[in-house]
Amino acid sequence: MSELFDLFSQHLAWMTNPVVLARQTLAGISNGMLLFLISAGLTLIFGVLRVLNFAHGALFMIGAFIAWTIGTWAGGSSIGFFAALAVAALVLAILGSIIEITLLRRIYRAPHEFQLLLTFALVFIAGDVVKLIWGREDQSTPMPELLSGSTEAMGLVFPTYRLFLIAVGLLVAAGLWWLLHRTRWGILIRAATNDRDMLGALGTDTRRLFTTVFALGVALAGLGGALAAPIVSVGPGLHVQVIIDAFVVVVIGGMGSVLGALVASLLVGIVNAWGVLALPGWSVVLTFACMAVVLIVRPWGLFGSQE
Amino acid sequence: MNRARIGLLLLLAALLLLPLGLSDFWLFIAIEVLAFALYAISFNLLMGYGGMLSFGHAAFFGVGAYTGALLAKKAGVTSIWAFVLVMPGAMAVAALIAVVIGFFSVRRSGIYFAMLTFAFQMLLYTVALKAIGLTGGDDGMTGLRPPGLLAAPSNYYYFALAWVLPSVYALYRLVNSPFGLTLRALRNNPLRVQYVGVNVRSHQLITFVVAGAFAGLAGALFAFSSGNVFPGWLNWTASATPIVMAVLGGVQSFLGPALGAAVYVVLEVTISGSTEYWPLFMGLIIMVLVLVMPRGLVGLLERGRR
Repeated sequence: MSELFDLFSQHLAWMTNPVVLARQTLAGISNGMLLFLISAGLTLIFGVLRVLNFAHGALFMIGAFIAWTIGTWAGGSSIGFFAALAVAALVLAILGSIIEITLLRRIYRAPHEFQLLLTFALVFIAGDVVKLIWGREDQSTPMPELLSGSTEAMGLVFPTYRLFLIAVGLLVAAGLWWLLHRTRWGILIRAATNDRDMLGALGTDTRRLFTTVFALGVALAGLGGALAAPIVSVGPGLHVQVIIDAFVVVVIGGMGSVLGALVASLLVGIVNAWGVLALPGWSVVLTFACMAVVLIVRPWGLFGSQE
Repeated sequence: MNRARIGLLLLLAALLLLPLGLSDFWLFIAIEVLAFALYAISFNLLMGYGGMLSFGHAAFFGVGAYTGALLAKKAGVTSIWAFVLVMPGAMAVAALIAVVIGFFSVRRSGIYFAMLTFAFQMLLYTVALKAIGLTGGDDGMTGLRPPGLLAAPSNYYYFALAWVLPSVYALYRLVNSPFGLTLRALRNNPLRVQYVGVNVRSHQLITFVVAGAFAGLAGALFAFSSGNVFPGWLNWTASATPIVMAVLGGVQSFLGPALGAAVYVVLEVTISGSTEYWPLFMGLIIMVLVLVMPRGLVGLLERGRR
């Protein structure tokens, strides 16, 4: 019994240590911001296209590999890093447009299982193509000079890159809000999320809207992958945990809601970061517990609309 | 006797005589086909008949396989009579897990249902991976053999057949019973069925549990022919397998998924024997399936007959 108690107190000691608690919370928030980049794209795509993109994690992984290639080539220079972010987002946007135009467009009216299978086929294909291009090993990407090291804030020392991730996440969230509420394109996206048939009947070219939304969502995943590259091991298995966390996030936040994706991403990020210390190896159980609670209390998600 | 009946009798005769003409290698593949046929039909009970697209059916296949392996290895099942009880044991544990997962999952429908079942499967995958003391973790459980006489491949084939045929028949009776008809009505219009006074959620939950139990049986049967159980059986790529089998065969016919399972297993054996990029081929096959022949092999056959 006392052994068990020791085990618990050992694992829970960090809770009373404000430095560890603050650092871990910050790590959770920054991971949550990465998760937000992925799940925002996933939820936007689902809202407009009504297709659950299983390949989103695989596209995130391709973004990470692009950043690794450029980052290694540029040898950790800051310009190389920012170029890698732009290139990853751009390449993925183009890839996304190609996927939407050649494949997804054919199955919008098909049953769910066909849509799932098609994006699932993309996961298989992307997984092997990544192995063919980049190999099977896990790679580490050099941290850009400008963002390596640590920063002091509120009397505590934080890794600079983590703070940078949080800033980028907030920037993207603000940008998406502006896009969705202040531009014509964004208004069309929100209208399509509500009722795409009506939008089409009113004379909007929904085909172009679908392509651009898919490209935007996939570009966000690519950007997320490129941003994650310096703090994860970039390998062909990277996409798995990412897509599962993103699914949990959209279930908790509510499908189609960008705000829900933001809140749920931060929640899952922080729960994961604390869980790593409290239940080593089992932290994923905690995020599932969150999801189960949300499903019982609000089955349509925190910010989703009731079907 | 009509043509369908003659066809079924021929199929039955072929299944009974199969071990006479097959090498051990192909006999193991035949056992795999039997297990996966049951697995795919149990899945189609959910998708084809109930309109419930489960993306986590592999959870029950895996739970059945692990239960079988644990009963044999940890509980030390050595006699054939005890081994016979391993199968209902696997079904019971799979059904129990299905009650829990189903309780949460049937609260949502369509794509949400798919995501929930998928998430729960991944949770079980984590358990299989991390509970090393119980499951062997990443290494899985190896060296499984059916006891006594059943260790001979042809005997184990008949053992598997003796479980699969009655199970398939039971599922056939189920989908054509009043319960099954209600289930189909539910697929087409849940709201109307609810107005008639059917408890939609509990109807779906029962279906989910039945499908899970038979998937568990399939998993346990397959575990003892492959000799191993790996956490990968619960991994997310595994959840696509029954969907691909069902769609490949044809979801609109009862035995279509079984045909799909047979073709899929043979394709996998032939392709993965010659290249390590089986997933790439699988992706391309799925793509062709979805874009070119959405009605599956049964659809092709029907078109050919006309």
